[in-house]
Amino acid sequence: MGRSLRILLLTGAALLVLAAAGCGGDDGGGGGGGTIVHGTTDQPVSYDPAGSYDLPSWNVIYNVIPGLLSLPPGGNQPEPALAESCVFDNPSTYTCKLRDGLKFSDGTDLTAEDVKASFDRVNRINDTNGPSSLFASLYKEAGKVTGQEVEVVDDRTVTFHLNKPDATWPFIMTTGGGGIVPSEYPANKLQPDASAVGDGPYKLAEYKPGEQTVLEKNDDYYGDTPKNDRVIIQYFDKSSALKLAVENGEVDLAYRNLTPTEIEDLRSADGLSVVEGNGTEIRYMVFNTKLAPGKDLAVRKAAAYIIDRQAIADNVYNGTVQPLYSMVPQGIAGHIDAFKTMYGATPNKAKAQQALQAAGVKTPVQAEIWWTPSHYGDSSADEYAEIKRAFDGSGLFKVQLKSTEWDQYSEAYAEDQYPIFQLGWFPDYPDPDNYLTPFYSTDNFLKNHYSNKEVDRLLADQKASTDQAHREQDFRRIQTIAAQEVPIIPIWQGKQIAAVRDGITGVDQTFDPSFQFRYWLIEKS
Amino acid sequence: MAGGHHTTSLRTYALTRLALALPMIWILLTMVFVLLRVAPGDPISAALGGRLSPEQLQARREAAGYDEPLIKQYFEYLGNVVTLDFGETIVDNRPVTEVIRQNGAATLELTIAAFLVSLAVGIPIGLLCGRYRDTPIDIAGRLFGIVVYAAPVFFLGFLAQIVFSQWLGWLPSSGRASPVTTFDLNTTTNLYLIDSLLSLNFPAFKDVLEHLILPATTLGLVIGGVFIRLVRVNVLQTLQGDYIEAARARGLSERNVVWHHAFKNALVPVITVIGLQVALLLGGAVLTEQTFNWPGIGSELIRYLNNRDYIAIQGIITFFAVLVVIISLLIDLVNAWVDPRVRY
Repeated sequence: MGRSLRILLLTGAALLVLAAAGCGGDDGGGGGGGTIVHGTTDQPVSYDPAGSYDLPSWNVIYNVIPGLLSLPPGGNQPEPALAESCVFDNPSTYTCKLRDGLKFSDGTDLTAEDVKASFDRVNRINDTNGPSSLFASLYKEAGKVTGQEVEVVDDRTVTFHLNKPDATWPFIMTTGGGGIVPSEYPANKLQPDASAVGDGPYKLAEYKPGEQTVLEKNDDYYGDTPKNDRVIIQYFDKSSALKLAVENGEVDLAYRNLTPTEIEDLRSADGLSVVEGNGTEIRYMVFNTKLAPGKDLAVRKAAAYIIDRQAIADNVYNGTVQPLYSMVPQGIAGHIDAFKTMYGATPNKAKAQQALQAAGVKTPVQAEIWWTPSHYGDSSADEYAEIKRAFDGSGLFKVQLKSTEWDQYSEAYAEDQYPIFQLGWFPDYPDPDNYLTPFYSTDNFLKNHYSNKEVDRLLADQKASTDQAHREQDFRRIQTIAAQEVPIIPIWQGKQIAAVRDGITGVDQTFDPSFQFRYWLIEKS
Repeated sequence: MAGGHHTTSLRTYALTRLALALPMIWILLTMVFVLLRVAPGDPISAALGGRLSPEQLQARREAAGYDEPLIKQYFEYLGNVVTLDFGETIVDNRPVTEVIRQNGAATLELTIAAFLVSLAVGIPIGLLCGRYRDTPIDIAGRLFGIVVYAAPVFFLGFLAQIVFSQWLGWLPSSGRASPVTTFDLNTTTNLYLIDSLLSLNFPAFKDVLEHLILPATTLGLVIGGVFIRLVRVNVLQTLQGDYIEAARARGLSERNVVWHHAFKNALVPVITVIGLQVALLLGGAVLTEQTFNWPGIGSELIRYLNNRDYIAIQGIITFFAVLVVIISLLIDLVNAWVDPRVRY
């Protein structure tokens, strides 16, 4: 073959493919018929309940592999799901009776043996990304199962023998970790994601990591039929691409994680609307109570008077978050606006000055505040600039902002390196205990050296009680003490927000404090 | 025999190149391993930091073996690489080979299409610029080449999305195919264009093609900018060659001289440079994939980097390194095939 011919062949092939690439049409949109296309930047870790401890994985698990209990739309208390009933026999013994005739999506029967196998394998596998730490009140040691913890009473009855009283156990069972899988699942290792099996409204039809997860209606589901036949969860790397996709109709709804600016922009877009609901994700500022200036209660109180939550919500987050006046957010049973009651809803410089003067604190108080740039989203920089503006503007503080990336940050704050620092929290389940014990107990997770014996006692008391009214009384008292002593200043709680194409309904029904995205409620007209 | 001699020397050359590539890959792997371990953070903290207590995080690190001596981890890792066992990703439990197979196919499809675009843009414009030196055609072509080469790929991509997707509505803004097509398509090669043809699914072929146009053109233009300048310079040099003068002296028409003598010879050096562009193409693919939500291996690499997934990062970098070496080698072989004067 001549040289010139070879060159021509090479370039000709290039031109041929390009020419083919030049032809196009006008099709190729999002879903069709009963298919809902959900675009998101959240990517799942695993669809095995033993291997996931993250919202995107759990959202699919809630729809495919439900547990014995679940949180109903709009509700904040667990209700029977696969179980017909669940009761505390005593504060550390919990018995559930399964519904009759349950079947997994592969057609096999769902029995009490499957329930025991499901819980045991979560703790036995003790996966790096898994939820075994949630089961600390059931299993004494992560990774070890004695076989006595979950008792199979009969085919439809199972009893959980907790190692200590735990009123939050029903909530824990509603998490993705409590999903019930067939006992044929490997006992010592994770099930491949593409072959997830459960007894939810949907079955997993396909999972292409980084591309999409497809759920199809499960005909063996015991409950109401979903309002759609199929759900495609389409993954996006960047929120800007997701925004374009929902604007162009390539996805039916965009939920997590559009930026505040993008959401603001979409509010005026044609053919879609922005749907909002209560969220339970929170942000707060922590004082290390051993380090200056936060070791001085008067300084912490002055800061609580000065902080301008509404300005942060309006100026930084364009109204996509709302001011938070307790670590327990609005919508959770037992919430009170403790900080609002004690320090007011708006900044009060006079009261702050009074608090500092009464304690003989010299002003302006030098305050070094740390924040982290990417872990909590790009808006953190503006959020802390807004905080500095309010503090410095009062004349009572002189703030020095410092930041570092999460890898270093997450170790340093726990080692007494930061006097005041930013953190956020996404709950495991919507019970006040999940917002209080990790932060206010003596061995709290913030390592800020806050300790109060009464708070410790109240935390233990609520956990041991199965009387919800009694627990709520404890929660209110804890929130009041926390506001008086201010080891943490709650700043905001995020709303759940989705951009939804016209003709899609039901998204508002699933936006509640449980943070469960119930696809079966969503309809396309 | 001349042919036998050529075959032997070419084989020797190829083997030598391969032997040299191995230490290069080993150095690269070692650097990646060390850098990942020296940098602060680990997969556990990245995924669950702020959600579990420091004690719980440490317990998980120990259970996962991240506190084992680095030298032990290093040799384990090298041993696995030698046996082509890249392990499973930490953040989502996927075999790294599956990541390379599935997401690598998406990248391959994008880079091949982009490469063809770059040739289709770079060669004709470069030829025209060289042929009509210092004319408005030349100036416009050079300017175009500089602009597309200098503009960041994500900027070009975003511009293309705004114009062709949002304003004009001609093409989809992101993804390899529409969600329904992605689900319905039977995949055997994971190259969607080929898969849709194999299954005779022409609506899917059309859909995939539409999704490919913007990212492939964006990435292709960047590389095309390099080719424009390269081809132009080669054409200018070739047109000054003695044999061109001789051809003219023989009374051949200018058209004949340019097309049959100058242009073809001007393209030979381009083939050599193509190999050098592969790394640039892969680097550009990472950014293009991010811009167009293309589920390629570059997107996955960034995700795993953000999550400090040592295993995944090491595996993907190894794949990239081996790929660049193989393609460079192939280009050299093609060069020798096209130009018999090239021997080693």
